[in-house]
Amino acid sequence: MKRHRSLTRTAALATTLTLGLALTACASSGDNAGGGDGKSLTLWTFKQTHATALEKTAEDFKAKTGITVKVQAITPDDAFVTKTQAAAKTGDFPDLLEVHSRGEDFTFGAAGLLENLADKITPEWDKNYLESVRNEGTVTAADFKSSQETGSKIAGVEEGQRLSVPLTIGTFGIVYANKERLAAAGITEAPKTWEEFIAALDAVKKTNPDNGGVTIGLKSPSTGLEWLMQPMGFGQLGKGPFEALFTDDKSKNWSSENGTKVLSEYNKITPYWMPGSQTLDIDQADLSFAQGKSSFLVGGTFTLSFLNQNGFDTENLMTFPVPPPADGAVKDLALAPFSLTGLSLSSTSKNKDAALKFMEFVSEPDNAKKFSTNALDLAPVDLGADPSTEVGPVLGAMMAAFGEAGPNTYNPGNTSYRPNQYDPGDVGALLMNMTPLAQTDPAQTGSKMAELIDSYWVTQKG
Amino acid sequence: MTSHVTPDSALRGVGGDGDQNGPRHSPHTAAATSSPPATDATALAATPASATAAASNSAQKFAQKSARGSASGPAKTRRPRIRYNRTESRWGYAFVAPALILFAIMGVYTIGYGLALSFARWNGFSPNWEWVGFQNFTDLLFGSKTYAPRVQAAALNTLWVCIAVPVLTIAVSFPLAIILNSAKRFQGILRSVYFVPYVTTGIAVYLAWQYILEPNGAINGLLRVLGLGSLTQPQGFLGNPDTALPTLIIVLVWSAVPVAMLLYLTGLQSLDTSVFEAATLDGAGWWRTNTSIVWPLLRATTGIVFLLNLRDALQGFQIFLIMTNGGPGNHTNVLGLETYRLAFLSELSPTLGLASALGWMLFLAALAIALINQRLEKRAQ
Repeated sequence: MKRHRSLTRTAALATTLTLGLALTACASSGDNAGGGDGKSLTLWTFKQTHATALEKTAEDFKAKTGITVKVQAITPDDAFVTKTQAAAKTGDFPDLLEVHSRGEDFTFGAAGLLENLADKITPEWDKNYLESVRNEGTVTAADFKSSQETGSKIAGVEEGQRLSVPLTIGTFGIVYANKERLAAAGITEAPKTWEEFIAALDAVKKTNPDNGGVTIGLKSPSTGLEWLMQPMGFGQLGKGPFEALFTDDKSKNWSSENGTKVLSEYNKITPYWMPGSQTLDIDQADLSFAQGKSSFLVGGTFTLSFLNQNGFDTENLMTFPVPPPADGAVKDLALAPFSLTGLSLSSTSKNKDAALKFMEFVSEPDNAKKFSTNALDLAPVDLGADPSTEVGPVLGAMMAAFGEAGPNTYNPGNTSYRPNQYDPGDVGALLMNMTPLAQTDPAQTGSKMAELIDSYWVTQKG
Repeated sequence: MTSHVTPDSALRGVGGDGDQNGPRHSPHTAAATSSPPATDATALAATPASATAAASNSAQKFAQKSARGSASGPAKTRRPRIRYNRTESRWGYAFVAPALILFAIMGVYTIGYGLALSFARWNGFSPNWEWVGFQNFTDLLFGSKTYAPRVQAAALNTLWVCIAVPVLTIAVSFPLAIILNSAKRFQGILRSVYFVPYVTTGIAVYLAWQYILEPNGAINGLLRVLGLGSLTQPQGFLGNPDTALPTLIIVLVWSAVPVAMLLYLTGLQSLDTSVFEAATLDGAGWWRTNTSIVWPLLRATTGIVFLLNLRDALQGFQIFLIMTNGGPGNHTNVLGLETYRLAFLSELSPTLGLASALGWMLFLAALAIALINQRLEKRAQ
C-alpha cells in the first residue's frame, strides 16, 4: 500500500513538473528581442522583397560595428498583424520593425509598444532624409485630434511623438506597360491623358486579344479604388472637390453629380480588364503581368522590385502615372512621394542604443542608395540630380513623375479628409460592383459608396 | 411476391415470417446476444412462422430497434458497476490531470477571455479595453450602418452554404458509399482514391482549384474541347458573382464527401446482412432495398453527416479566405470570414470585440442547430 502511495506521489510530482515545463515553454521566451548584450538585434518586416536588401545592409552594419541584425520576413499582412498582436501580449516584440508609415507605427505607438524617437534623432541624422518626408512618422496636431474621436485606430498617441523614421518612399498610381506590345500597337509615347490611356488599352487589346488587357490585384478591392480611380478622379476634379467626395455632404460626395462624373469616367476601363482580375491578389496580378498574361499593370513604385524578382525584363517596361482626363481640373498632374514604410524601435528592446545606430546607418546616403539598388525600391534620401544612375532607368523615370506638394499634386499618403474608420476595402468592393463586375451603374455605385462613407462619419461623430 | 418492402416487412423476414432456419448471426447480432434483451431477441427471432402475432410483433419491434442500433452503434446494455480502489483512482486522476489542467488554461481561459472581449472595443494592441456592453452585438445585428449590412449579406451567403453543403454532401456520399460497398474488386483502391480529397485538402489544394477555375483554367478548357463553349465562364468561375458562391459550395462538398462516405461505409458494414437477404427474398430490387431499408437504417449516420457539415459550413472560412477573400465584391463573404476580417483584416481598427461578438453569435447558432438536431433525432427514434 505504501508503495502505491509513493507511486501516486511520484506520478503527481511528475505531472506537475511536466506541466510546469510545458507552460514555461509556452510562456514568453523573450528571444525575439536581442539578448540585451547590445551585439544582436532582431528586425521584423512584412515585405518579402525588402528582406534580402535589409540583410545586405545588416551585413555592412556588422562589418562596421560588430552588431548582428537578424531579419525576419513575416507575410502576408494578416500574418504580420496576428504575430505582432501575439508579441504585444507576451511582451515579445522584436527590437526593430518595418511598418507602414502612419499605419502600424501609430497604432503600435498608441499602445505604448514603440519608443518615442523625437528626442533621439540628432539633426545630422535627420538631415539624411528628404525634406518632404522628414516628418513622416511624427504625430501631428491633426493626427492627435483624430485620435480623440470615437473608434479611432490611434487612440492614445500624443502630439509630437515620433514613432518611425522613413525607410522607403514612393507612391501609388503607376501604370506599368509592356513596351514591346505597345510598340507593336503603334504606341511609343506614354499616354498623357485618361483618354489616351483608354485608347492605348484599346489598341493593344486589338493587337493582343488574349493578353492585351490591364490588371490589378482586385481581390484586395482597395487597389482599384486607391491606385487607379483616385489619381484619375483627383486630376478630373481638382483637390478640393475630390476630397469633398469623401464627406457626408450629399451635394458634394460620391452620390453627387461630381461623384457620378468621376465614376462614369473610370467605368470606361471596363472592357479592358484582363479576365479574372477580380480574383487575383496583388502578387498574383503582378505575376500575371510578368508572365505576359496582361499588357498593363497598375501598381506603385514598389511594384518594380516584384516584377524584377519574377524575371520580367525591366528594359521592356514603359511606366507612367495614372493620367487625368483631358478636360480635367488638373492638367499637369503630379504624384507626391510619401513615406511608404518606416522603421520603428520597440519600447521593450534591451538594445536600444544598438538599434538606434542601425536606424541611423540605414539612413546614411550611401547605405540608403545601396538599399535602394538591392531592393529596387526608393530610399527616402536625396538620390542626386540623376536618380537613374543610382536606382536604374525605370525607377529613375518613375521619380520624374514626382512633384512637390501643391494643388496639382496628388498625395495618396494624405488621408486626413476621410473619416477615422474608413475602410478602403469595403468602399473598393462597392466600386468593383461597377467595374469590372458590371452589376451597378455609376449613379448606383456612387450612392452606395456615399451611404457607406456616411456610416463612418456617423460613428465618428457619435 | 410483393414489391412493396419497408424496413418492417424486411425485418419480418428476419424475425419470424420468413426465417425457417433459426437466427442469422452477423457479428453484430452475435455481440448483442451477450446481453439479456438480445438473448430475448434471438429467441423471438427464432420463433417459427406459426407463432402468435403478438410475439411476432414484439420481435419485429425489437429487431428493428436492434438494427437501428447496429447503424448507430451497439445496443445499450447495463454493465455491472466496477469499483476501483483509492490508489487506482488516484492514478487515474494523475493521468487525466495534465489534460484537464491544459484544458482549463487553453480552453476555459480563452473562452472566458473571448466572451469578455465581445463586450469591449479593442484593436489587439492597446493596453486597455473600452467596455461597450452589448453594443457590439447590436451593431452587428442592426445598429451600425457600417457592419450590419455586411453581416446580413454574409449571413445570407452562409445560409445558402449551410443548406447546400450538407444536402449535397449526403446526396453524393450516400450513393457513393453504396456503390463502393458493393464493389467486388479493387474495393480498397477505390476507397483510397475517393478518400484522396480529404487527405490532400488544404491551402495547396484550394490554390490548385483556383488555377482550375480561372478563365484559362482546366474547366473552361474542358468545356471548350467538349463543344460546350456556351457554359464557359470568361471571367473564371470565381470571377463571376453569379457562379462564385455555387463554385465554392461544390469545392466544399468535394472536400467533405470523403469523410461522409467513410461514415456511411462504416454504417453499411455494420448492418445485419440478413436484412438484405430477407429483402431480396421479398423481391426488393437494388433501388428499393437502398431507399426503403438502407436509407432509414442509416438515418443516424445521415444525422451525423448533416450536423458535421452544417457546423463546418457555419463556422468554416478558410476556403473563402484563400480562394476569393469574400469576393468578387463581397459576393462570397460568409460569417466565419467576416469574423476573421473583423479580427485581423480591418486595417488595425478596434474591431476585435466585434469579431468576438460575431464568433459568439455563430456559436449560439451552432448550439441551437445541435439542439434542434438532437430533438429531431429523439423524435425519430
